Amino acid sequence: MGTSRRSFLRTGLLGGALLAFGGLGLSLYPSKEVGVATGPLLVIEPRAFQVLVAVASRIVTAKDADPVAIAHGVDRALSYALPETQEGLNKLLGLFENALPGLVFDGHVKPFTRLSPESQDAVLERWRTSRIALRRIGYQALRKLALAAYYMEESSWEPLAYQPPRGFSAMAYDDSQVGTPEWVRAQSAPPAPSNEEAP
Amino acid sequence: MGPRSVGTAGSVERRGAVTKLAVIRSSPNVVDGSRATTDLVLEADVCIVGTGAGGAVTAATLAHAGLSVLMLEEGGYYTHADFTMREKDTEPRLYQEGMSRTTGDGAIAILQGRAVGGTTVVNWTTCFRTPEDVVDHWKKKHAVGGFAYAELVPHYEAIEQRLAIVKVSVDSMNRNNRTLYDGCTKLGWSVETLRRNVHACLQTGFCHLGCPVNAKRSMLVTMIPDAIDAGAKLVFRARADRFEVEAGAVKSLRGTLLDAEGRKPTGRSFTVKAKRFVVSGGAINSPALLLRSGIDAGGLVGTRTFIHPVVGSSAIYDEPIEASRGAPQSAASHHFAHRGDEVGFFLEAVPWYPALMAATSPGFGRAHEAAFVQAPHAALHIAITIDGFHDDVPGGRVTLRDSGAPIVDYPIVPKLWSAFRFGQKRLAEMQFASGAKTVRTLHEVPVVMEGKVDEAAIDAARWESGSVPVSTAHQMGGCRMGDDPKSSVVRSEDLRCHGLTNLHVVDGSVFPTSLGVNPQQSIYGLARMAATRIAAAK
Repeated sequence: MGTSRRSFLRTGLLGGALLAFGGLGLSLYPSKEVGVATGPLLVIEPRAFQVLVAVASRIVTAKDADPVAIAHGVDRALSYALPETQEGLNKLLGLFENALPGLVFDGHVKPFTRLSPESQDAVLERWRTSRIALRRIGYQALRKLALAAYYMEESSWEPLAYQPPRGFSAMAYDDSQVGTPEWVRAQSAPPAPSNEEAP
Repeated sequence: MGPRSVGTAGSVERRGAVTKLAVIRSSPNVVDGSRATTDLVLEADVCIVGTGAGGAVTAATLAHAGLSVLMLEEGGYYTHADFTMREKDTEPRLYQEGMSRTTGDGAIAILQGRAVGGTTVVNWTTCFRTPEDVVDHWKKKHAVGGFAYAELVPHYEAIEQRLAIVKVSVDSMNRNNRTLYDGCTKLGWSVETLRRNVHACLQTGFCHLGCPVNAKRSMLVTMIPDAIDAGAKLVFRARADRFEVEAGAVKSLRGTLLDAEGRKPTGRSFTVKAKRFVVSGGAINSPALLLRSGIDAGGLVGTRTFIHPVVGSSAIYDEPIEASRGAPQSAASHHFAHRGDEVGFFLEAVPWYPALMAATSPGFGRAHEAAFVQAPHAALHIAITIDGFHDDVPGGRVTLRDSGAPIVDYPIVPKLWSAFRFGQKRLAEMQFASGAKTVRTLHEVPVVMEGKVDEAAIDAARWESGSVPVSTAHQMGGCRMGDDPKSSVVRSEDLRCHGLTNLHVVDGSVFPTSLGVNPQQSIYGLARMAATRIAAAK
């Protein structure tokens, strides 16, 4: 039926990235434990979670940002994605941890989680402006997930002066007749006297 | 700051919090598939897969014509009580793939709804009839001869009444839209205020997370209740997997029931037997269902998928813009829609909300923070490119992953990159004309312009995937209509699949090109016409 060939060619971003990096495995170097999960992980694997915490700490530098909380937010958001996307993110985090530019710094061979913050920023910068589309897109995927997870939390909104109104749902009304012939007739009837209420 | 006064009728009606919609949701005709304890076996005259713009209109029309109708929806049944105006609660639940859907290469973000009511629950209420020249183009170039434009008009009128579609006034625009309107006006570019499907709108600005006050006349609060009132049944958290086809007809539909959050199958399945089936899963999902069922129309199904790819520009003004408040869209310019050999585009505003805008604003760390906190003074405008009208803009293709879920590949061809660059320049020009002090493109390494457009810098930016965000909020095509079975999937007269006697596709996937306007009303009008014809044929 051709699906195996099609799926080989169309594994998308992450399958292609594996091929591009020659399949460097997660087991090559032990990751550093940079943060402790504060609850069960839904779809992100434990080692990938550590990489994500490290990445989040460099992506979101707002004063009260907690990279472990951000990583849990990403995990929760990803639980609504396709299994393929979830698997893809786990693989991407593994690649990010072990990608060659991260390995060779000052003559030392280190995974991303073991680099200094400045070196981590340099790795992100390299992926951000890379000639390789898969790295740019991989960086965007991590960046967007981390930022969205942080800025979805109300605790992040004060510097943005963002404040959605509360309690609107209780103001919903029965609108089932809008657009029906009865409603159309009522539109042309003179309005009943009523008090204009202040919101 | 509370809502502005909405006038007498709205004030009086809003005192009641219990709605007829809550009553409908608890009707015995509405079944929560996630709670089924056995496999379901269902029967109807007509089974409709998907409850968005196409499916809901079809269901209401056929139910009112006396047919027994079964609606299926993989999404959840959420109402105003669930629309908390918080991205965290609503985006994972109301959007396809929890809002993580992208093209296969990850380069283009795909915003598409997933819920009872479909994308209409989260769209920005912008309504346009299909431009007449688009229908002419379909007739001339894509053998769409099954209806004349004039035959769509009464359906548009009926929809405009039922959905309270009214043109907004210039005074009602928020600053984000007013800057677009004023900038275009100053430059002598054609610009108009939009028609919106809202009634007694409180200008909360949360259309994209579900209207918290039932002002948005989405399918959720109009055609779905209409259909159920007329006897239609609805099963939600029910994902259609494949049709069983035999001797040129669909015999049954098999599917999977999903859990309450729509994340995993419950282990229960369903089977539907019906005389007629209608696919209304929208572009991407409808072609995927056909492909899973072995229906590929000689390789056509999934091809010519168009997405109105979007590039954006942010502008900083001295005065506050507060793009998170007020109706998200109230102005549009089609001044550059027709560019001959080049791809045209139209200009609109987009609302600002924290998580999505944080993800859109480029960079990371301190650099991102510094740019992002200017939010209250930032306006965000987009150029929506109009794909599908040139031979060298072939559109994307939907195929299947191993799991059967769809994957979309969309090549950004040279003509589209060229249109993005040109659109970027015009956006900046419009923003400066409206008084912007600084304009920043959304490139990962942004072009920052002070006081005037720098075309050379825009040209020199990195126009490549992953270096500039490209997104889509409108998905069309993949099951194109036409009268020649060799070059189309469904016939234009009644959207019936060529070669099958009882299967129709009624949604945005039937368009042979993109529309050049926000799609919802085009889908409503075509669906109502097709459904009326389907009902008459019984």
